Amino acid sequence: MRITIECYGASARWCGSDAVTLDLADGATGAQALDALADRYPDFAARRDSVAIAAGDAIASPTAPLADGDVIALIPPVSAG
Amino acid sequence: MTDLRSLPRLRDGALNLADWLTDPQPASAGALNVFAGTVRNTHEGNAVSGMTYHAHRGLAEARLREIEAAAEARFKVSARVAHAVGKLEIGEISVIVVIRGGHRAEGFEACRWTIDAIKSAVPIWKEEHYLSGEARFLEGTPIQPIESL
Repeated sequence: MRITIECYGASARWCGSDAVTLDLADGATGAQALDALADRYPDFAARRDSVAIAAGDAIASPTAPLADGDVIALIPPVSAG
Repeated sequence: MTDLRSLPRLRDGALNLADWLTDPQPASAGALNVFAGTVRNTHEGNAVSGMTYHAHRGLAEARLREIEAAAEARFKVSARVAHAVGKLEIGEISVIVVIRGGHRAEGFEACRWTIDAIKSAVPIWKEEHYLSGEARFLEGTPIQPIESL
């Protein structure tokens, strides 16, 4: 299956793009998507454990399975204010 | 007069404090606490020329409204918040918290809790611009669930 990861904040720098497409095994989870992203982008790998995932307008569980065509967002450490 | 409840809490460009003070003061309230965050011209010894605020718009809007509701439930006050996105200049307002409550003690406490919640639970990122022409995203904190704050 193919998913799209939108990269917010500094994560766009770590991954070199505002959005990344990944091909994953059917039933892969958000955590497995992050693993694949870390394999591809060393700058992201160094910060992987500080990043959350959003689906739509909510934070998503990294253990939830993804589906073909899903779009998820990387939420790196926040700095509002 | 615009009903602030109907406005997005995430706004393009610098905020105008007066725009966010138009809610009526409840008759039972004896305190109005206001916090406004502004862009400063230095950070860790570097001369700053401005700040760009990036956001996950949908989640940030939802979180700002959830924080308002949580502050009202926790402190028994009226809360209104707003945050800017986009490029701001030095001295411009990036975030506003307005608390109306019975007494100053819960007003100060609610105001402090609310700005701290915004800083740790809303997906907004500061990209700092320097006079040298360089820019970088500031280190942040992993996003927190509001119920944990």
